[in-house]
Amino acid sequence: MSGEADRPLVVEGLTKDFGSVLANDDVSFAVNEGEVFGFLGPNGSGKSTTIRLLLGLLKPTSGTAWVLGADIRDDTALTEAKRRIGYLPAHLGFEGEATGEAVLDYHGSMKGDGRREELLELFTPPIERPIREYSTGNKRMLGLVQAFMHDPDLVIMDEPTAGLDPLKQEAFNEFVRDERERGTTVFFSSHVLSEVRRICDRVGILRAGSLVELENVEALLHRGGKHVRVHANDAAVATIADLDGVVDPDRFAEGVQFIYAGDVNALLRELATHDVRDVEIGEPPLEDVFAHYYGSEKLVDESDGTDEVTNESDGTGATNA
Amino acid sequence: MLETARYEGRRRLRGAAILTAGIGAYTGFIVWYFSVLEGIDYEDVFEDLPPAMLEAFGIESLSTIEGFLGAQVFNFVWLLGLGLYFAYVASGIVARDIETERMDLLLSFPVTRSRLLVEKFAALLVPMVAVNAIGGLIIYLFVVAIGETIPIDHLFLAHLLSAPFLLVCAGIGLVFSVAVDRAAIAERAAVGTVFALYLVESVVGGTEGYDWIQYLSPTQYYEPTPILIDGSFEPIDSVILLVAFVGLLILSQALFERRDI
Repeated sequence: MSGEADRPLVVEGLTKDFGSVLANDDVSFAVNEGEVFGFLGPNGSGKSTTIRLLLGLLKPTSGTAWVLGADIRDDTALTEAKRRIGYLPAHLGFEGEATGEAVLDYHGSMKGDGRREELLELFTPPIERPIREYSTGNKRMLGLVQAFMHDPDLVIMDEPTAGLDPLKQEAFNEFVRDERERGTTVFFSSHVLSEVRRICDRVGILRAGSLVELENVEALLHRGGKHVRVHANDAAVATIADLDGVVDPDRFAEGVQFIYAGDVNALLRELATHDVRDVEIGEPPLEDVFAHYYGSEKLVDESDGTDEVTNESDGTGATNA
Repeated sequence: MLETARYEGRRRLRGAAILTAGIGAYTGFIVWYFSVLEGIDYEDVFEDLPPAMLEAFGIESLSTIEGFLGAQVFNFVWLLGLGLYFAYVASGIVARDIETERMDLLLSFPVTRSRLLVEKFAALLVPMVAVNAIGGLIIYLFVVAIGETIPIDHLFLAHLLSAPFLLVCAGIGLVFSVAVDRAAIAERAAVGTVFALYLVESVVGGTEGYDWIQYLSPTQYYEPTPILIDGSFEPIDSVILLVAFVGLLILSQALFERRDI
């Protein structure tokens, strides 16, 4: 371990084989102190498995990881390290009949709650009400408060912004940046490229259980692109589909949809010259982005359309992805 | 220290209150029924029943309040009802939290799995103590209310010695709870097992050649009726139950520590 052990999170050859699925296949990476690290991958790619391994919920088939210096195979060391770890699971299984306040009291008694009031000003779940009345966003906010309230050195979050409204999401981004300023190391998973791009220093990309790329965010900025859907007449559609940066144009009766990887201004200028009936510009499904940038067998069946993107991540071909 | 036991114990208060109230009401009915039946020769009533049945239901001396309570309250409610109840409740302790993924949050605390398990289990002492302490008091007050008497030390022993038995039933539930992912399956398995063991003791127990089977059942080691009537019990029985309980607890811990969540 030597010098590596000083880093808050070191993963080495981490493998988890569930028998039917190879959920993590020889995953290795390290997170530096005070860094915001994004763990990106489509749904079902094994992000949650890595996170659950890091917290000792699952036992690795082979390989290991060190969390704040504690080997995840060493229960005693990992238990001690958890004093300085905050965790936000993807699914928050708070007991419904308890109030948010009762849950925070309990969590506080287990690990401390020095920053509770401060966090409750930022994230505002109705803590006096029973949790069964909470919306997904409120549950997520309660989860964020409990993950940060004991002022941990390392925070691990699984899809932290799922269910948050855009305003709270912005508040969350701002909050994570502030946390980094305070020296907190943040590791979180996401399947939304734009979110990761906005707040992370570095990104690891997981696909079908394997880490396909580890890079800093500037490199990622040039990737991705937008999912564009334009309703217009045939002549306009033909010109638009020929634009530089248009990938995989897919025509339908009233228009065309494609991934656009070029300059957004150029696209908007081009669109403005046509009679466009409707246009949608949004985040492309991550699997499409991957298929485009990282290739693999997926690219072959891309021509069938994008319906079956999620099937791809079930572990088939996990070893060669 | 013991934050989890305290928190989970508070969550059990409501259930404990409802359970105790229900059993109190049933006991009140039984004691009232005894006062109504007074003067009838009970042995005559049950004379026609096959001996195996009398044995199975622990019917010994129905003409005294002790015997009547032993058969109608303790053999039914404590041996069967509460045995099943604690097996059922304990089987949800871990399995339900895994199913709802609450366990993810609990295991992010700086506390070992085995400690978490023991503290969560310890919260079951809330209903166990409530139903025995308050239930026992209710029984005593009802008996006094109809002008009967019951030796208070016998009644106390009958409740006290039920604890090792109930712990074993809960321990059986706990093993299923850590071994299975889904609460509904753990609950069915635990309740089914405790019920089967009850039947094994009461039905198969009398069969020659197979009578050893009855020693597998925890009900073999807790007989409330003789305790109530003359205060007689075998201390070794309680020791056997406690050893079995500790064994089940250790087995649960070992399974829980090794499993993936």
